Amino acid sequence: MMKNGFFFFIGLLAAFLLGWGGIPLLAHKQIGALAPFYDDGESSSFPTRPPGVAARGQLVYADLGCVACHTQQVRRPDFGSDKARGWGDRQSVARDYIFQGRPQLGDARIGPDLANWGVRKPPLDAGGIAQFLYSGVVSGAKAVTHPPFPFLFDDRPIVGEAAPDALVGLVDKTPRRQIVPTERARTLIAYLQSLNNAYEYPEARHVVPVVAKEGAHK
Amino acid sequence: MSSTSTHAEVTAADTAGRWPVLLLLASGLGWLVISGIFALIASIQLHSPTFMSACEWFTHGRVGALAETSFVYGWAANAGLGIALWVLGRLGGATLRAQNWAMTGTLFWNLGITLGLGGIATGEATSFAFLELPRYVQPLLVVAYIAIGISGILAWSGRRTEGTYASHWYAVAALFLFPWLLIAAQTMLLWSPVRGVLQPIIDGWYVQSVFSLWLAPLALAGAYYVVPKITGQALPSYEFAPLAFWTLLFVGTMTGGRHLIGGPVPAWIPTLANAACWMVLFHFIVVALNLRGALTGGGTSLTFISFGLLAYFAGAVLDAVTSFRGVALVTQFTYFTTAQQQLALYGGISMLLLGSIYFAVPRLTGRPWNSGSFVRGHRVLAMVGIFLLVGSLAVAGWIQGTELSNAKTTFGEIAGRTRPWLLAVTVAQGFLLVGNILILVNFLRSVSDVWCAGAVSQVGAFRQPTTMEVHAS
Ligand code: HEC
Repeated sequence: MMKNGFFFFIGLLAAFLLGWGGIPLLAHKQIGALAPFYDDGESSSFPTRPPGVAARGQLVYADLGCVACHTQQVRRPDFGSDKARGWGDRQSVARDYIFQGRPQLGDARIGPDLANWGVRKPPLDAGGIAQFLYSGVVSGAKAVTHPPFPFLFDDRPIVGEAAPDALVGLVDKTPRRQIVPTERARTLIAYLQSLNNAYEYPEARHVVPVVAKEGAHK
Repeated sequence: MSSTSTHAEVTAADTAGRWPVLLLLASGLGWLVISGIFALIASIQLHSPTFMSACEWFTHGRVGALAETSFVYGWAANAGLGIALWVLGRLGGATLRAQNWAMTGTLFWNLGITLGLGGIATGEATSFAFLELPRYVQPLLVVAYIAIGISGILAWSGRRTEGTYASHWYAVAALFLFPWLLIAAQTMLLWSPVRGVLQPIIDGWYVQSVFSLWLAPLALAGAYYVVPKITGQALPSYEFAPLAFWTLLFVGTMTGGRHLIGGPVPAWIPTLANAACWMVLFHFIVVALNLRGALTGGGTSLTFISFGLLAYFAGAVLDAVTSFRGVALVTQFTYFTTAQQQLALYGGISMLLLGSIYFAVPRLTGRPWNSGSFVRGHRVLAMVGIFLLVGSLAVAGWIQGTELSNAKTTFGEIAGRTRPWLLAVTVAQGFLLVGNILILVNFLRSVSDVWCAGAVSQVGAFRQPTTMEVHAS
């Protein structure tokens, strides 16, 4: 085999095909056609498609590489502290991601998991997130613990009145100027607020025992 | 060092085929320095988040992608291809053919990387690990790679000897398999993307395949060639080498799912990865046995190769251990996985390649390395740097992992506790960067000597392997 060029190449090709067929193709066969789950009780299906603005926000999230520090996958309650940290009551399942253009699963948790950030308690309002992204300071804290993203904001003069979404607190730091989220910042924030995998699918249920009877998830 | 290998020291094939190889090596070393700068910036941002944060091009996520991409596609690819072509040319016993193809391919490959890095910096990164380069440069990369590879494949098919040697297998496998891999990955992820979590599954497969089917084979092609050349001895346990080769190819790619433990993917993927991680150890054990002669030898090449060999082996063992759920519970999502990746890519692949480069360049130029003290400096900085880098990341990761599992610890506290180790990582990146600048400068000076001296060869004066290598101990 090693001497005969033909067989050697066949071997190489087989190695490639086995790896390719063994993982990507098999997985594709198994979950490639996963459909939304229709809930009779609620007369709607899950997951819901994210609004267009959130889908565009995911592109901003991807191009800035937030995935370098944040995962979006909750592990099951008995595997790690994910639930205890309030990241989600159930483990994430493949169905959660079917409508995401580019799922940002991630493999580093330098910061918290964001899979359910939109429904986190207590919720930060859009102004609060904007402030946080601009300054890198978590509300209530003093030190900068987060990379700031000042380039997602416009620093511009106030003509007439300040823009409704201008960052509070920073408005009067320099007189007559205001810090206003750009279009990209707004989509990114909408995306973060849309992150919500709370709905309980049948396949996620076997992990967390659910007392409610069939069909009455919530 | 025996004199048996002396007669083959500088062959006509080296001199006549040197420019494509030197161009690849020069590009590789250039990218190594550039990726080191990006890695340094990224590491500073981990303890000082505001560092260069006002500049969108250098926001942490993008710098990280720039560092990774220039390391894999800039440094490791160019250097690995250079070594593979050189080894195949030498084993083929004739001057490298299709040299113009190789040179043109190299220029376009590096053009593609440069454009792609510009794309990443300006927000076109794909956000897929190891496949960050924007879609529009991907086809160019495939074509350029094939152009470079042709030269190597011709040297293999036109070889003057009947038999083949381990370096042949590894080099040809890497040349032949990577285009398939890249085409499959970019089709399924970038051109007509699959849905949902299939994307991270396929990306995980791709990342692992880049290592198992491409970078590791390139590095091993060089090591299998250089080690017996220097020790002058036949490789022990060589009869297992073919099986070890096929084990890496067939089983290696299945280990990628270990990063998805506990994730929203079919459970068989991480389970398969766990089994594969243990099976593939056979490959690593045989390679270690085959090349163990490197551990006893002195000299610069063998020092790098021994270090690389130990790191290559240790990396595989760590991968296997952390592929168990119980261990992954702590290490997953932490700096510990970064440590493992750096151990494999920097400690393993890069050190093996550097060892081969230290051996090859004097034979290509026909004269010793320009500066012996630069060689010694690089050697110390590289070894200390990698030790510090991997060690600090591992400790930081372990602290991070244990603190993460305690739901009461805040992220601010975790940052505080890992900070000293992250500072050490920055120091390590600094060492590595300086070391890499030393070898780049040394390389450019050595090559420019030849370039300017033109046809005048000093081959005769440097036939002793010891002088060729700059004996620096
Ligand atoms: C260098 C790593 C890093 C990067 C890159 C990063 N983050 Fe963070 N993120 C963190 C850390 C650390 C925290 C926790 C901060 C704390 O609690 O002190 C955090 C927290 C957050 C939070 C939660 C804030 C809260 O109060 O709950 C959000 C939302 C967030 N990040 C969004 C983003 C977005 C969006 C991006 C990309 C534009 C991003 N992060 C990039 C490290 C990072």
